Amino acid sequence: MPQYKGWAGEILRVNLSTGSISTEKTAKYKDYIGGMGIGYRIMWDEVPENTDPFDEENKIVFAAGPLTGTGAPCTARTNITSLLPANPQNLIGDSHMGGHFSPEMKYAGYDAIVIEGKAPRPVWLRIEDGNVSLENASKLWGQGIFDTTANIAGMMGKEAQVAAIGQAGENQVNLSTIMTSGNHSAGGHGGIMGSKNLKAIGIVGTQSVEYAADKKDWIELNEFVMSIIGANNQHVVPSTPQPWAEYHDSSSRWTAQEGLYWGAADEEVETGICPPEDTNKIGYRTMKAIKDLGEISEDYTVRMGGCQSCPIRCHSSVEVPELEKYGVSRYVSNTCMGFWNHYYVNQNYETKKDNFLNKTLGAQLADDYGLWFNYGQLGRDLKYAYDNGILKEVLPAEEYNDIPWDLYEKGDPQFLVDLYRRIAYQEGEISHLGDGAAQLAERWNFGEDYWNDQTNSLWSPLGYPVHHANESNGQVGSLINLVFNRDPMCHSHQNFLGSGLPIKLQKEIAAETWGSEDAIDVPANYTPMNRAKARFAKWSLVRNVLHDSMTVCNWMFPMVTSPLKERNYRGDTTLEAQYFSQATGMNVSEKELDEMGRRILTLHRAMTVKQMGTVDMRNEHDQIVDWVFDMDPDKEPFDAGTIKMDRDDMEKAKTMLYQELGWDPETGAPTGETLDELGMQDVKRELANKNLLPYQA
Amino acid sequence: MSKENEEDKNFMQRSTTRREFLKKSFEGAAGAAVSFSILNLFTDSAEAQGFELADGIVIVDPVKCTGCRRCETNCTAFNDGKAHPYISRIKVGQNYNFGKTGPTINYQNGDGQLGDFTIVGETCRQCESPRCINACPMDAIYVDEKTGARVIDKDSCVGCGRCAVACPYDVPTVDPETEKSTKCTLCEGEPSCAAGCPTGAIRYIAWEDVEHALIEREKLIENN
Repeated sequence: MPQYKGWAGEILRVNLSTGSISTEKTAKYKDYIGGMGIGYRIMWDEVPENTDPFDEENKIVFAAGPLTGTGAPCTARTNITSLLPANPQNLIGDSHMGGHFSPEMKYAGYDAIVIEGKAPRPVWLRIEDGNVSLENASKLWGQGIFDTTANIAGMMGKEAQVAAIGQAGENQVNLSTIMTSGNHSAGGHGGIMGSKNLKAIGIVGTQSVEYAADKKDWIELNEFVMSIIGANNQHVVPSTPQPWAEYHDSSSRWTAQEGLYWGAADEEVETGICPPEDTNKIGYRTMKAIKDLGEISEDYTVRMGGCQSCPIRCHSSVEVPELEKYGVSRYVSNTCMGFWNHYYVNQNYETKKDNFLNKTLGAQLADDYGLWFNYGQLGRDLKYAYDNGILKEVLPAEEYNDIPWDLYEKGDPQFLVDLYRRIAYQEGEISHLGDGAAQLAERWNFGEDYWNDQTNSLWSPLGYPVHHANESNGQVGSLINLVFNRDPMCHSHQNFLGSGLPIKLQKEIAAETWGSEDAIDVPANYTPMNRAKARFAKWSLVRNVLHDSMTVCNWMFPMVTSPLKERNYRGDTTLEAQYFSQATGMNVSEKELDEMGRRILTLHRAMTVKQMGTVDMRNEHDQIVDWVFDMDPDKEPFDAGTIKMDRDDMEKAKTMLYQELGWDPETGAPTGETLDELGMQDVKRELANKNLLPYQA
Repeated sequence: MSKENEEDKNFMQRSTTRREFLKKSFEGAAGAAVSFSILNLFTDSAEAQGFELADGIVIVDPVKCTGCRRCETNCTAFNDGKAHPYISRIKVGQNYNFGKTGPTINYQNGDGQLGDFTIVGETCRQCESPRCINACPMDAIYVDEKTGARVIDKDSCVGCGRCAVACPYDVPTVDPETEKSTKCTLCEGEPSCAAGCPTGAIRYIAWEDVEHALIEREKLIENN
C-alpha cells in the first residue's frame, strides 16, 4: 500500500501442506481495514461453507490493523479469525489477544498471517522480518505454553514475541486458547492450530510502522487521548471519594487511593491519589487485582501489567508462594475471566484464601495447557452435571471413582490440578467439558432446565453465555449478544454504561450521541424498545468490529466520556476516525469510518447466512434462551428491579436493529441493496447464486 | 477497598512489608560489589578521553516499570517521526519476556513477564568517557551543547555499527531503514520517554544524583 501509511503493506501466507511461504499486498483488503475485517474477507473468499474447523481446508488468520504498532494508546490487540469448533454449527468467529504479538508482526512487515493446510508433522513458524521458515517442532510438541515460549525465545533471541498453543490445542480441545507473553490468551482457536500441527509462531521485527501525519500532530493527538483517558473500561470516576473528584462509584475500576499498595513490590508503591491531569500516574489508576482476586490480593500484587502501548494496566501480576506446592510457578498474571473462570469451576471453597488460590492456580494451569472456559461456562456446566447426578450416569464407574470429588466438594484448589489435566489431554468422558456448552448438552443429554435456569447464565442455543446482555441496558445489551457466533467481546455499550457518572449526565451524553436520552434506561428499570436504543446497539456493534479491525482495544475505546469536569465529562467519539486518518493518510470522517465498520459487520452476517444456509437469522440464529423472559415470576418486564425482557418487545428490538444496519427487517439477513451500498457486489452475487438473499425465496 | 474499614489493618501490614523491604535492601549490600562493577563501566576511563558531563541521564525503575513500552514509541515519534521500538533509545521490549539474560532453565524465577515480573529497561548512561564516541571511526558522535547528551551527527554517520558493539548497555542501534545509528539525545532536555511514562517509572536524573540512583536500581534488580 505505497500511498498509505499505517499498514505494513504485506500479508504473509503460509501453506503448511506444501510448505509454501508467500506474501501478497494488503491493499487488496483495505476496504476491510485489517484485523477482523481481513479475517472475514479471507474466510469468505477462501473457506467453503460446510468446512469442518479441523479440516485441512480451514484457514486461520492472525491480523493486525493500521493502528497496531503505531504506539497510539491501546493498540496492541491481535484478532484471530477462523471457524469456531465450540460453536455447534462451526460458524465463523474471532478470538482476540492483547500483549505484544501483533505489534511485533507489524514491525516484521506484516499486517496479517494466513495459515493454510496442515503440516505433515509438528512445526513452528519462525519469522524474522523477511526471513520466514517452518521449523521442526517435534521437541516442543507436548510442552506447555510457558516452556514453548521460552524455548522459542531461546532459539530466536530474547526479544521474540511468541504465540503458542499448549496441550489442549494440540489435542484439538474445542475450548482451547492461543496465548502470547504468558498471560494474554485468545479463546476458541487453539485446536485449529493443533489440527494443523502448528505449535507456535515466533516473531522478531526490526522495522518501523509509519504514520502519515506530521509528527507534531501525531504527538498532540496521543497527548489528547492521554488527557481524556479514564481507568480500565473507560471508567471515569474513582471507586472511592477522592480530593479531585466530584463523583465516585464503588464499581468503578479507578481504584487508586491512598493506602492501597502494590503490596508485594520490592519497594513501596502506593497507587495513591491519581488526578486525571497527572498522566504519569495513569498506570496506577486500575488495580484490577482487588476487583478480580479480592482485597486479600493487595499483599500479593507485585505490579500491574498489560499490553504494548496501553497506559491502562489491567493485568494483575501476583506472587503467590503457596502455588509452588501444586507444582507451578508462584508468579501468575492475568485479568478478569482469566481468574474468574476458576471460581466458577471450584465454587465450593471454604475460605477467601482458597478462592484466591483457586483463581491464581487455575490461571496458571489453564494458561500453560491453553484451556479456554467459554467465558466461565465450563465451570457452570460441570456444576450442573454434578449437581444433577448426570456425571454418575455418563462417566464410566471406574473413571468417576478416579476423580477426586471430595476435593471438588470442598472447593480444594488441588481439584483443578486433576480436572484440567483430564480436559487438556482429553482423558476420558469428563474431558468433554471442553467441547463447548451446546455440544456437551447434546452429548450428556442435558434437559431444558439446563438452558432455562438463570443460574447457568446461558444466553444462546449456540452455547455461549451472557456477556453484558440484558443486564446491560436491556434490549441494547441483548441485541449485542445476538449477532456474533460466540459471546460478544463487545464493550462499547458496557464502557459507557459503567462510566460511573450520574444517570442524568449519562442521559444528556446519550442524547448527544444517539439522538435521544431514551437510548439508556435507569439500570434494572427498563422501558420498551425505541429507536434510540437501536441506534445505540448498532453503534456499539459497529465500533466493536472497527476496533477489532484497526486494532484498538474495545475495553478502552470508544471514549464517550472523560474524567474531566472542565469538559463536562464529555469524551470524544471522533478519536477512531482521527487516528485512522492520521495513521493512514486516508482522510475519513467519523461517519465514513462507521460505515466501514458496518461493512465488516455485514460481511460477518453474510458469512453466517452462507454457513447456515438460511436467510432466517431472526428465528434460526438470533435466539435467546427462555430464562431471560421468564425470570422473576413475580415481576413483569419493565417493572422496576428486574432485568426480565419481553418476548414481543425483543422481536421489535430485532426489527429495529436490522433496519438500522440495513438488514432485512423480517429475517435479519443482509439485503441486496445494502450489499450494493457497501460495495460488496461480489458477496451479493454469491448469496444470490445460493438463493440466500431475502425476498428471493 | 473501603479505606475506613481497612486503615488499621493496612497500617500493620504495610509496616511489615516495609520492614521486609528494608531488610532485603540491607542484604543487598552484596549490591556493593555489583555496583562497583557497574560504576566501573559507567566511568570507564580506559580510553582516557573525557568529555564534558551531560546534564543527567534517564533511568528506569525496574519495580514501577510495567512494560507498556509507551516510552519506545514516544522516543521514536519525537526523534524519528515513526513508531520503531527496535531503534528506540530506551530498550524495554527486548527484556520484557525474559529479562536481560533471555530465557534460562530457571526462567520462571528470572526477570521478565514470564519470570518474576521484573522489567529491566536499558537506557543510555551518557558516559563520561563514552565507548561509543571512542569507537566511532567517523567522529560522528558529539556532545550536544544544550544538554551534554552524546548525540549522533546523521550526516557523518556511516552506519557501521561500531558504537552499537562498543556500548556495554546495547543502546546505540543502527536504523535498518536509514542506515544511520541512533542513540539517546535527551530530547532537547525533556526526554519524551520520561514525560510519557504512565507509571512515572522513568526519571531524568541530574548528574550529581546518578551514582546513587544507579546503585539503588541495581539493588532492586539483584533482590528480585
